[in-house]
Amino acid sequence: MSEMPKDDGKHLDEMTLLLYIERQLDRARGLEVSAHTQECDACRTLLRALERESRLLTRAMLEEDEPLPSRLAQFQERARKSMQWIWGLVFGLAATGVYALYTTYIQPWQTQLENAGFGGSNLLGLLIFQGAMWKGWQSVITLLEVLAMLTLAGLGAMFFRRRIRRGSALALVFAGLCTVLALPAGVSATEHRGGQNPTVSKDETIKGNIYLSGERVRVEGTVDGDVFAAAKDIDIDGHVTGDVISAGRYLRMRGTVDGNIRSAGNTAVISGTLGKNMMWFGDAVTVDATGKVGGSITMFGGTLAIDGRLGRDILFFGEEINVNGGVGGAIQQKGHALIIGPNAQVDGPIHFEGDQPASVSPEAKLASPVVFKQVEHKREYRESDYYVWRVIWTAAFVLFGMVLFLLAPGFARETISSAESYGAPIGLGILVFFGVPLAALIACITVVGLPLGVLTFGLWCLMLCSAELVVGAVVGNLILGQPKDTWGMIGRMALGFVIVRIVYTPLSQVHILGLVAALGIWMWGMGAISLAIYRRIQPVIAPNVPSAPYAPPMPPNTTVGGPLPA
Amino acid sequence: MSAPGITQPTEAIARARAGDADAWGELYREYAPAIFRFCRRALPTREDAEDATMEIFMKLKDKLIQYDATRSFSAWLYKVSANHCWDMLRRRKIRQDKETEDVENVPLEHPDPNQLDQLIEQRTSEEVRKALDKLGGRARMALVMRYYSDMSYDEIADALGVRRAFVGVVLLRARHELRQALEGNAALAAGGAS
Repeated sequence: MSEMPKDDGKHLDEMTLLLYIERQLDRARGLEVSAHTQECDACRTLLRALERESRLLTRAMLEEDEPLPSRLAQFQERARKSMQWIWGLVFGLAATGVYALYTTYIQPWQTQLENAGFGGSNLLGLLIFQGAMWKGWQSVITLLEVLAMLTLAGLGAMFFRRRIRRGSALALVFAGLCTVLALPAGVSATEHRGGQNPTVSKDETIKGNIYLSGERVRVEGTVDGDVFAAAKDIDIDGHVTGDVISAGRYLRMRGTVDGNIRSAGNTAVISGTLGKNMMWFGDAVTVDATGKVGGSITMFGGTLAIDGRLGRDILFFGEEINVNGGVGGAIQQKGHALIIGPNAQVDGPIHFEGDQPASVSPEAKLASPVVFKQVEHKREYRESDYYVWRVIWTAAFVLFGMVLFLLAPGFARETISSAESYGAPIGLGILVFFGVPLAALIACITVVGLPLGVLTFGLWCLMLCSAELVVGAVVGNLILGQPKDTWGMIGRMALGFVIVRIVYTPLSQVHILGLVAALGIWMWGMGAISLAIYRRIQPVIAPNVPSAPYAPPMPPNTTVGGPLPA
Repeated sequence: MSAPGITQPTEAIARARAGDADAWGELYREYAPAIFRFCRRALPTREDAEDATMEIFMKLKDKLIQYDATRSFSAWLYKVSANHCWDMLRRRKIRQDKETEDVENVPLEHPDPNQLDQLIEQRTSEEVRKALDKLGGRARMALVMRYYSDMSYDEIADALGVRRAFVGVVLLRARHELRQALEGNAALAAGGAS
């Protein structure tokens, strides 16, 4: 194209003309250009050419030259499924995190505590630190590992997808996964025996774990590993170097078990020697006069009788404990009765929460007197005070919610909106409910992390208190529809909160149902708050779009940009 | 908006924000063709455009909460799409540093109006689209934002990360590149025919 003079008084430059047709010039300059193009043929022609070029560009771009690809047409349905996949990924990540935390922090503590001789005097200690049940969760660990691998595979697919095209990326990732799975696993001898009366005979030695199932199971020989038994009657007369994990009506242990017994059944009688701990879900456990248990007994069931020797503690939830032997540690019981016989010797403290005081023989040797606490059956709901306080607490919560909603109405709206999608907030809520306190605890270990840990825990508590309000607001919205303003939102929250409380109060009288309902509400609400926070901290792509620049009003007889001479 | 000419789907947006999958589906069906075309014009290959469209709509699920309902939904959606496409191009280093340097030095020539007129007259939409494919990332992106989705100079400046005052220069330079590509195509066609 040949060059023409710039805006030297004769012609306007192309930039000015383009800005003119794009309406980007201020009013005064626009009028100047308009006046000039009415008199100058060359500039007018160029102006028209630029306008035509604009129209050509717009037309070329807007023309529907190709239909929506089928991949995109089907995407909508796939996207729904992919959201499930994303949540699977979140759970996978959570599982990986828990597993990593366990192996990094808890396991070394566990070892150190065990080396230091600390026993589990409460359920949490027994479950986590003392390992009374942990090994039984082996399958859970395996599940976590699988989830962790799947998570890695998912992340791999996402990573490669950006570099290699769809099919090949998936093929690569899954081929890699298959290769990993195909690698030879560590050698682990496991034997299974079934039939009517599966037996490990007296002169037999099993190297590795053994699974036994049948009518009556007998272990008379040696098992250098764990015994997994499912039978009506189980007799352990031989030597088991690992654990005994069993389910059956009757368990008799006359031999030696170096590890733990973890079982569910009707009756267990320990006449032999158990090296570590016993966990029993069932009706009755008896440690005979000849029986010895090196560790603790944790029991959920009917009666526990100790005539022999127990190295550590008793944690008991059931009907009755009858001690007429030695207990090396503490007794913690929640149940109906505690009877301490004349031959009993208890070296640790005794805490008994029951209906009637413990019956203690004067000959019994106790390190300290029994601390008794009368069980208070919840009957407060029959008293008027109970309802008055319920109303006061409900009003206090509504007030608290009102303050929060007024302080941050936008955030409250986003939180309620997040809660209305159910799946995502509940999933995230599970993660936050368990993960955040754990993370805060870990942060508190270091001096530097202490303020952060405390702050995180404080935020978690605030979220916990607000969770029920969020759920209340969702319920309110379900009943009255979406609110139009902040006060509408508060009104719905108050209504929904009251309804939630009315439904929840009778449930809370039933322990398990109350706990499940409370956990559900907390996780849902906390998840919604977390989701709203997460969305808030995402980089904002298009908030507050700036307004268009000033466009001068168009003189008459114009086409696209400015006036043209007649 | 110039492209889809769609009325504001206020109800569907509200329901989609509340997590209604059907409402999200409605929005997708309504807007996916326009967004795909936007991506098709802005990105080098059809496959890129497909990927980008899906990613934009996946992103939209999270971003919808940030949408200010008092503004045009399609304008907001185009802005999200423009940012996404420009990010894609930038990640692939299609954005040329040279362009940043040269952007202030573009010659403001006065082309021969008749010759320009003739060039435009003889070109079809298809030829223009083919010529667009030959442009640099920034030039194509600027033209698409302006002439497909009718974005303002402020929005274009924001998306491309240039000062508003240079948007006109970027657009003019893009037009020059386009004319050269059109002339090149014509020469190629003439050479092929002879």
